[in-house]
Amino acid sequence: MNVRRVTAVASKEWREIVRDRMFLALTFLVPVSLMLVVGYGLSLDVEDIPLAIVDRDGTNLSREYAYRYIDSRYFDFKGYALDVHDLSPLLADNKIRAAIILPENFQKELLGGRPVVVQTLIDGTFPFRAQTTKGYVLAMNTSFSSEVLASYISKRRGIPLAQAATSIRPVTLEARYLYNQSMKSDWAITPRLIMVILMMTPPFYTALGIVREKERGSIYNIYSSTVTRLEFLIGKLIPYVGISSANAVILWLIATQLFGAPFKGSLLFFIPATLLYIICTTGLGLVVSVLVRTQVAAMVVTFIVTVIPSILYSGVIVPISSLSPTAQMTAHGLPAMYYTNIIVGTFMKGVGLRELWPDVLVLAFYATGLMTIGYRMFHKRPST
Amino acid sequence: MNPTTPTTGERPQPHTADEPETRPRRGRAFVVWWNRMRVMTIKEYLQLYRDRILIVFMLYAFTLEVFLAGSGVSMQLQNGALQVHDSDHSFASRELIHRFRPPQFSIDGEVLHHGESIEMLDRGEAMMVLDIPPQFQESLLAGETTSVQLQIDTSNPVLGFLATSYGEQIVGQYGLEAAMQREGIGLNEQAAPIIHEEHRVWYNANQNDAWFMSVVEMLNVITMFAILLPASAMAREKERGTVEQLLVSPLSTFQMMFPKVLAMTSVILVGTMITIHLILQPFFGVPFRGSLTLFMAVTAIYVFTTAGIGMLLATIARNLAQVGMLTALIFIPMVFLSGAWTPPENMPPVLRAVSAIAPLHHYIDASLGIMLKGSGIGLLWDSILAIALFGAAIYGMSMGYFRRQFG
Repeated sequence: MNVRRVTAVASKEWREIVRDRMFLALTFLVPVSLMLVVGYGLSLDVEDIPLAIVDRDGTNLSREYAYRYIDSRYFDFKGYALDVHDLSPLLADNKIRAAIILPENFQKELLGGRPVVVQTLIDGTFPFRAQTTKGYVLAMNTSFSSEVLASYISKRRGIPLAQAATSIRPVTLEARYLYNQSMKSDWAITPRLIMVILMMTPPFYTALGIVREKERGSIYNIYSSTVTRLEFLIGKLIPYVGISSANAVILWLIATQLFGAPFKGSLLFFIPATLLYIICTTGLGLVVSVLVRTQVAAMVVTFIVTVIPSILYSGVIVPISSLSPTAQMTAHGLPAMYYTNIIVGTFMKGVGLRELWPDVLVLAFYATGLMTIGYRMFHKRPST
Repeated sequence: MNPTTPTTGERPQPHTADEPETRPRRGRAFVVWWNRMRVMTIKEYLQLYRDRILIVFMLYAFTLEVFLAGSGVSMQLQNGALQVHDSDHSFASRELIHRFRPPQFSIDGEVLHHGESIEMLDRGEAMMVLDIPPQFQESLLAGETTSVQLQIDTSNPVLGFLATSYGEQIVGQYGLEAAMQREGIGLNEQAAPIIHEEHRVWYNANQNDAWFMSVVEMLNVITMFAILLPASAMAREKERGTVEQLLVSPLSTFQMMFPKVLAMTSVILVGTMITIHLILQPFFGVPFRGSLTLFMAVTAIYVFTTAGIGMLLATIARNLAQVGMLTALIFIPMVFLSGAWTPPENMPPVLRAVSAIAPLHHYIDASLGIMLKGSGIGLLWDSILAIALFGAAIYGMSMGYFRRQFG
C-alpha cells in the first residue's frame, strides 16, 4: 500500500466534496437539523389526551371524580357528553381519544360501601398511546378508590381518616428511577439520536461518493490507474469518515449542551467507540455501493438498510426487550443496537469498557467484516 | 411504440370545407399532447425497469420490510426482565413476588446482594429489581406500614412509566387484600366501596400492535418512494445533461415533470396493492372496515402530493447526491414527527404547526381511519383536502422554480 496514492485519492475526493458547496453544506446541515427537529419534537410522553366524560350520576362525588381528570395534565378535558351514543362520532373523528362513563348511583353505591363499575372507552388506533392511557385511568381509579375506602372505614369503625388510610395501604411501592431520574424523554432521546444519525449519514455519503463515479464513468480512470483496490477504497472513505467524525462531535455537543443530556461516562472510551461505529456504518455504505450501479438505487438501498432499522430495531422508540424473537434477531444482526448500548451506557449509566466490551467487540467485528466484504466485492475489472 | 409524431408545419386537413378550422386543429393538438405524455411516461417506466437492483429492493420494501415491522415490533411492556432481591424469604414475600407475572413481567432470577443487582442493571441484563426488606411479613402481620422498593431502569421513559404503573397496581392490590384479611371486618372485593374499571378499547380491541406497526410501516415506505423516485428521476436528467435535450424539445415544463410523477405514482400504487393483499391482510388480518377504493384514492392523492416535494427538491438540487441529502433532511423528520410516535399535542407549538400541514400526518390519520374505524369521506374530507392543498401549493412552487431555472 502506497501512502502517497492513498492521500492522492483522498485529496481528490475531498476537493470534489468541497467544490460541491451545497453537498458540503448538507453533510453538516442534515445531521444537525435532524438532531434539532427530532430532538425537540419527538417526545414519548403521553399528555393532554383529549377526553370526554359522561356523568350519568350528577352528584357531588361523581363530579369530584370527574374533576380529577379535568385537573390532570395527562388529560385534556373536552367536555361532558350527554349520552354514550354521542361518543362514537367524536372518537371516530379523532376529537377525543378516550371517554369515561360514570354509572347512575355512583355516589349512592360508593357511600353505601358497594363497588361500582366505571367504564372507559379508549381509541386503540395507536396501541402504545392506548396502553399508556389505560395506565393513567388505572392510577386515577386506584387513588380515588383508596380515598373512598379510607373514609368509609374511618366512618364505620370510628378511627381517624389518616389511620384508616394507612391501614388499607400496608405496603407501598417505592419506585426508584435509575439513570434518568426525572423520566425526561429529551434526555433519553437525544443521545440515541446520535446513533440514528450516525447510522444513516455515513453510508449515504459513502455509497453516493462511490456510485457517483460508477454512474458518471469516471471510475474507469481508477480502473486503469496504478492505484490498487485497497488504496482507492481507503482514500475514498477517509474524507467521509472525517466528516462523520466532525458531525459526531457536533451532535455530542448539541445533546449535552443544548438538550442538557447528562454524560456520565468517559470520553476516552466514547470517542474510539464512536469512531468504530462510524467505520462500521461507512463500511455498510461501501457494501451498498459495490452492489448497485445507479445512485438512485444506492439511495433507496441505503434508506432501506439504515433508516428503517435504526428507527425500529435500535431501541430508540421501541425497546429491544419488547421485540418479538425474530425482530430481536434482526436487531442483534445490526450494528445499531450495540452502539445504542454504548450510548446509553456512557451517557446515562456512566459505565465504560469493563461493562461494554462485548458491544465494542461486536462493532469491531462488524467493521472488519463489512470492510472485507466491500473490498472483496469491489473489482477493478468489472464483469460487464 | 410510436415516436412522437412531428407536428410543426403540417396543417391539419379539414374534413369538410364549411367546418370551422379550429376544431380538428385542437383535436390534433390534443393527440400530440397525449402522445408526448405517453412516450415520456413509457420512458420513465423503462428506465425504472432496467434498474434491477432498485426493483428488487422496492419489492423487498413493500413486502418483507412491512412484514418484519408488523410481526416483530411492539410498544408494550412485555417480559420486562425482573430480578428479585428478597431479604425476607417468607410466605408473604413469595406471595407478592409471584404477582409480578407475565406478560408484563418475567422473573429472571434472584440476586443475593445489593451490589449485584446494580451491576445487572448497569449491564442491561435486568430492567427492574424488586427489593423486599427483612421482616416484611412480620410488619405486615403487625399492622405496620412497610414498603418494597422497585428499581427501574428508566433510560427508556415509556417502559419506565408502564413498569411503575403496573408495579404500583400489583403492590396496592396486594396490600389491600392483606389489610382486608388482617382487619377481618367482612370487607372483601365484592363488598367494598371500590371503583372497578371496565375498559373497552375501540377499533383495535385486542391492542394488536401488528396492525398499527405494519400499516405505519407501509405508509413510511410509500412516503420514501414518493419523494425519492420522482426526485431522482428528475435530478438524473440534470446530472447526465439529458435535461438539455428535453429543454430543446417541444415539451412544456408540465410535460417534462408530470410523466415522471405519473409513472412513479402508478408504480407505488401497485406496490401498495401488493402490500395490502400479500402482507397486511393474509398475515396480520388488518381489517378494512372502510372502503379499499377510498384508501387507494387517498393514497394516490398523497403520493402525488409527496412526489411534488420530491420534484421541488430536484429543482433545488444540482445532482443526485444533493437530492439524497435533501430527501434525508425532509423524510426523516416527516417520519419521526408524523404523529404516529409522538402525539402532536405534545410537540412544541412551532413543530405542531408544521405537523398540522405535513401531509404524512393527515395521511396516517386518514388511512388508520379508513382501515380501523371504517371512516368514510364524510369524516375524512378535511384530511384529504389538507393533503390536496399542500400538493397544489408544492407543485405551483416547483414548476415556477423550474421555469425560472431553465426558462
